[in-house]
Amino acid sequence: MDISYWGLFFSMLLLLFPLAIFHQLKLKLTKQLLTAFGRMIAQLALIGIWLQLLFEKDNVWLTLFWVLIMLSNAVITLRGRIKFQRRILVSIFFMALGVASLIVMPWLLFVVIRPQPFFAATIVIPIYGMVLGNTMNSCALAMERFEGKLSDNWKAYYTRISLGASHWEAALPAFQQAMHISLLPRLLSIASMGVVSLPGMMSGQILGGASALVAIKYQMMIMAAIFSSVSIADYLAIRLYLKRRFDQFYLPRAEPKKKPRAGAKMSAQTG
Amino acid sequence: MKHTDENLPEPEQDLLHIRIKKLFYEDLELVSNIDLKVSQGEKILLTGSTGSGKSSLLNTLNLMNQSYEGEVLFLGKPVTEYTPEILRSQIVMVMQEPWLGDGSVSEVLDEALSFCANRKRQSQAQKHLIVELFKTFQLPEDYLLKKAEQLSGGEKQRVALIRAMMLQPQILLLDEVSSALDQTTSGIISDFIFGVCGSTVIAISHDPLWQSRWQRRWRIQDGRIHDNGGN
Repeated sequence: MDISYWGLFFSMLLLLFPLAIFHQLKLKLTKQLLTAFGRMIAQLALIGIWLQLLFEKDNVWLTLFWVLIMLSNAVITLRGRIKFQRRILVSIFFMALGVASLIVMPWLLFVVIRPQPFFAATIVIPIYGMVLGNTMNSCALAMERFEGKLSDNWKAYYTRISLGASHWEAALPAFQQAMHISLLPRLLSIASMGVVSLPGMMSGQILGGASALVAIKYQMMIMAAIFSSVSIADYLAIRLYLKRRFDQFYLPRAEPKKKPRAGAKMSAQTG
Repeated sequence: MKHTDENLPEPEQDLLHIRIKKLFYEDLELVSNIDLKVSQGEKILLTGSTGSGKSSLLNTLNLMNQSYEGEVLFLGKPVTEYTPEILRSQIVMVMQEPWLGDGSVSEVLDEALSFCANRKRQSQAQKHLIVELFKTFQLPEDYLLKKAEQLSGGEKQRVALIRAMMLQPQILLLDEVSSALDQTTSGIISDFIFGVCGSTVIAISHDPLWQSRWQRRWRIQDGRIHDNGGN
C-alpha cells in the first residue's frame, strides 16, 4: 500500500499531541522537535531520491561506492559521539567496522542469500544499513564502557601492573565488563523477539508485501548477522584501543592538552 | 622465604644501580645526580619532605615513572630493557592504601598469581608459603574466605603485603605502608621486614616506630640525595 503525500502530511499532524503536551508542561522541546522532524524529512527525502537512483542503475561500483560512504559516515558519527582519545579512535573504528563488515556481508551475499546479481543494490544496501547501524551503536557503547571502567578505577589497573600483570591482563576485567554490557541487552531482546514486539525488518517486509515466512527467515538471518558483526567490532575496537591506549611500559598515554585522571592520581601520591 | 642461592646476583653485579642525572615531576626538577648501589638483602629507608621526590624515585624503579634522565640497572641491565611484567614481578610495590578488589582474600591472592609473569610461582610450595605468610603477619587462615572489603585497614595492608611476598620479589618497594596503621600492625610489618623477609626492601616511611632499625638511609634534601652508606 503506497501512502499519498496528503496521507503523509496527515501523519505529521499526530505531532500536535506532543506539541500540546510540551506547551502545557512548558517543556523546552518544541524547537528540537521541529528541527528533528525537519531534518529527518529532508534527509530521508534526499536519501530516497538517491536510493531510487541506485536501485534503478543497480551498478556494482555505484553500490560499492555507497557502501563505503555508509561506512565512512558511521566512523564520523562515532568519532563525534565519543568524547575521549579522539585522535586515535578514527582509525580504530574504521578497522573495527570495516573488518566486521568484510566478514559478515560477503557471507550473507555469497553463501546465505545468493542474489542475482550478487551485488544487487536492493539487497546489499538495506541489509548493510541494518548491520552497520547496530554495529556502530554498539561499538560506541562498548568503547565508552571500557574507558569508563578503566578510568573509574585506575588504582585497580595500577595495582595489577605493579604485581606483574601485562596491560592485557590488567585491563581484562574492564574488557569483559564492556563486552558484557554491550552484548547482554541484545541477547535479551533476541530472546524476546516475536513475543513482545514484531521486529522492524519483519514489519517492513510484511508491509512491503512479502510473505510472513520469508519475513521471519530474513529476520533470523539479520539477527545472526548483526550479533556477529557487533561482537567482532566491539572486540576488535577494544583490542586495538588497548594497544594504543598504553605505552610500552603499560602506563596510560596522556591525551594531548588534557592530562588523564590517572596522572592526577599518581601526582597525589608523589611525595 | 629466604631466597635460595640461585637467585643471588653475580658477585660483581649490584642488585640495583640507580644512576639518575635528573628526576622530574612534570617539568619540575626534583632531585639531581643520584648514584646509588643496592645489594641483595639491604633494608633501606627513604626519607624527605612532601614533594621532594621520594615516590617519584620509588616509582622509577618498577617502571611506573618515566620522567627522568639517566638509567636504573637491575642485575646489570637497564630496567627499561626488561619486559615490564617480568621486571614488576621482581620489583614489587605496595602502596599506602592498597587496592584489593571485591573478591575474597583467597581470590585476591589468586588473581596476582594468575598473571603470566607469575605463573612459574604457582606450585605446591605456594600453599606452604601462604600458611607461613599468614603466620608471619598474624592473620588467621580462615581469613582466606573473608571478603577483602570487610577487612580493617591494617588487615588489608597485611593482605597486600602477603600478596606481594607470594611473588617472592627480589626487591620490595613500600610507599608509606604503615602510615595509616595502628602500632601493633605497624610492629608486625616491621618485624617481618627485619626478620624473615629475604627480599631487599626500600621503604618510604614517616612512622616513628620504624625509624631505628634500618641499616641504610637515603634522605632527599634540597634536590640532593644523601646516603649514609649503611652505617
